[in-house]
Amino acid sequence: MPPAGDLQNPFATDSTNVADGSKIFSSMNCDGCHGGGATGWVGPSLVDGRWRYGGTDGALFQSIFYGRPKGMPAYGGILSPGAIWKIVSYIRAQPVPVTVPTESWK
Amino acid sequence: MHHPIPRPTAALLLVLPILQGTSPRDDGQWTMPAKDYAATRYSGLSQITAANAPKLRALWSFSTGVLGGHEGQPLVVGSTMYVVTPFPNVLYAFDLTREGYPLKWKYRPDVNPSAVGIACCDAINRGAVYADGKIVYNLLDGHTVAVDAVNGRELWKTQIADIGQGETTPMAPFIAGNRVIVGPSGGEFGIYGWVKGLDLATGKILWTAHNMGPDSLMLARPGRGSYIGDANIGVSTWSGDSWRRGGAPVWGWFSYDPQLDLIYFGTGNPGPYNTEQRPGENKWTNSVLARRPGDGALVWAYQFTPHDSWDYDSNAEMILADLVVGGRMRKVLVHFDKNGFAYTLDRATGELLVAEPFANVTWAKGINRTTGVPIVDTTKTTGASRGNVKGICPSLEGGKSPASPSAYSPRTGLFYTATNNLCMNFEAAPVTRIPGTPYIGATTPYYAGPGGNMGEFIAWDAARGRKVWGIKEKFPVWSGSVVTAGDVVFYGTLDGWFKAADARTGRQLWKFKVGSGVVGAPISFRGPDGKQYVAIYAGIGGDWFLLSGDVRSDDPADVRPPADFAAELGRHTSQGGIVWIFGL
Repeated sequence: MPPAGDLQNPFATDSTNVADGSKIFSSMNCDGCHGGGATGWVGPSLVDGRWRYGGTDGALFQSIFYGRPKGMPAYGGILSPGAIWKIVSYIRAQPVPVTVPTESWK
Repeated sequence: MHHPIPRPTAALLLVLPILQGTSPRDDGQWTMPAKDYAATRYSGLSQITAANAPKLRALWSFSTGVLGGHEGQPLVVGSTMYVVTPFPNVLYAFDLTREGYPLKWKYRPDVNPSAVGIACCDAINRGAVYADGKIVYNLLDGHTVAVDAVNGRELWKTQIADIGQGETTPMAPFIAGNRVIVGPSGGEFGIYGWVKGLDLATGKILWTAHNMGPDSLMLARPGRGSYIGDANIGVSTWSGDSWRRGGAPVWGWFSYDPQLDLIYFGTGNPGPYNTEQRPGENKWTNSVLARRPGDGALVWAYQFTPHDSWDYDSNAEMILADLVVGGRMRKVLVHFDKNGFAYTLDRATGELLVAEPFANVTWAKGINRTTGVPIVDTTKTTGASRGNVKGICPSLEGGKSPASPSAYSPRTGLFYTATNNLCMNFEAAPVTRIPGTPYIGATTPYYAGPGGNMGEFIAWDAARGRKVWGIKEKFPVWSGSVVTAGDVVFYGTLDGWFKAADARTGRQLWKFKVGSGVVGAPISFRGPDGKQYVAIYAGIGGDWFLLSGDVRSDDPADVRPPADFAAELGRHTSQGGIVWIFGL
């Protein structure tokens, strides 16, 4: 994907916006694909620090607003830009693990 | 690990001459998903026996180039084998007359990739069906196609489903006479479930029958024919208009009785999982429906799990057999439900004859034989106001998955099926329907059931409702099965073994490591050289795409932690589709 430019989240990533974003994430059924806590299900994890289409504010906004191939719906017609930015705030506030927890068998 | 018991009783053996007299000699082909109209997955070929099965060896394999879950089975028509892959739904035609079985052609349909995210549980496909010179199958994005079996040219393509409404189409179409019968997935997307009858010659949709709603939309005519339901039961057993988004997908298998002129199929779960958004019995979700293939008319229905609280879809196959039940020869239908009970019904009327648990069950104490209604343990009932309900068995993967079709041998009188030994906790939450997004509302972690073995392959006596033998497996058993006139039964495991067992005793005869977990269904056919072969797909996926943890390595942005309840599974398998052929 090309760089998403300099789109900036107009909302502060304070606890109120993050909490609002968490509620929208579940009420808009995002967790139905990305799992509770966005840890991955049919859709990939959004909290493992790895991004198919970029993890900046602007890239996340574009992914949610326009959708992505392989099933990510376009929420631009359903949610206001403000609501999408709050989801971005929620996702960006999640701690990213230092390493992805894969298994090594003894 | 297996538990042999004596051979089937004399009563069963006595009926064999009658049953064998009604079965035509096997033509060596496999032209529909479940082998025959009765959905037996029984092969009349007998070269492979319990005595020589240990000498089976791999003769051929082919990588499909696709990583999704390889459910379903190949077809063999004449001297050609046909294979449909998961999304992007490539159709391969292999020439069995030439060394190495080279491709005759392949058909590459244009499938909308957005469908991948609308499919609840991996972008799988359950196979094709052959009739009248055509290979007919479904694309994931809501289209049915008919392809010329000789040259791979597309003959027709019909849109049957709408991914914008959460409908996808991984099921294998069924053909009864000149009707192609199809249905949608989407029980987790708030669809309004249906089946459609298409004209085999043109692909034109001739009828659409919904599984709930007003009688006019269910094609139900109470008081006429033998329809057993009350008027508008598809509305009165729901609250408000909740039936409009109530699920009842049709993603499993069909069977057909030409004498009764009835097709049989199961419907899936009601949506959402949060029961409190849909008070009532929710007919006809989690049910078997008997319809006329010509016009779709509903003749009878029976609901296995009213007001489903646990995602107990009833999409598993309905196998047709003639069995002596209670001293009388009956035309029956046998069904292994996700809810853990195996049912034997009179297939002319829907009368319940036998219902006994084949797996560990905690949600019900039994099935009332007179009313046909389960005796539910209400402490296991779920709902948003009931918090986290623990200790529910089976899990929502089912005592058996509908994705793992069973087999029936008229020689042994036994049914052979994969089973799961998993339990779950279930925490429901309110959810809003947004078309094209999941409509679920539950968190449901699993754990192994009693004994710790997460699966078992069993032989079942459906006349008496009891297990005859079982082979315990470490992981859930998620493959279909085939049983042969050589009295050998085949199945595969999630950790990538393909196995043969003695159909009479459950004695294990042979196994081979096929390269990825098996979620497909084996077939047996006679090659152009006159020899008997067995074919199976390897390629873990389906629900196990979601559950296995890190078994995909194609996407650097998608690295998953190991499965919490089966962390060892990833040690034995990764994704990858392979077609295998075995012989002596």
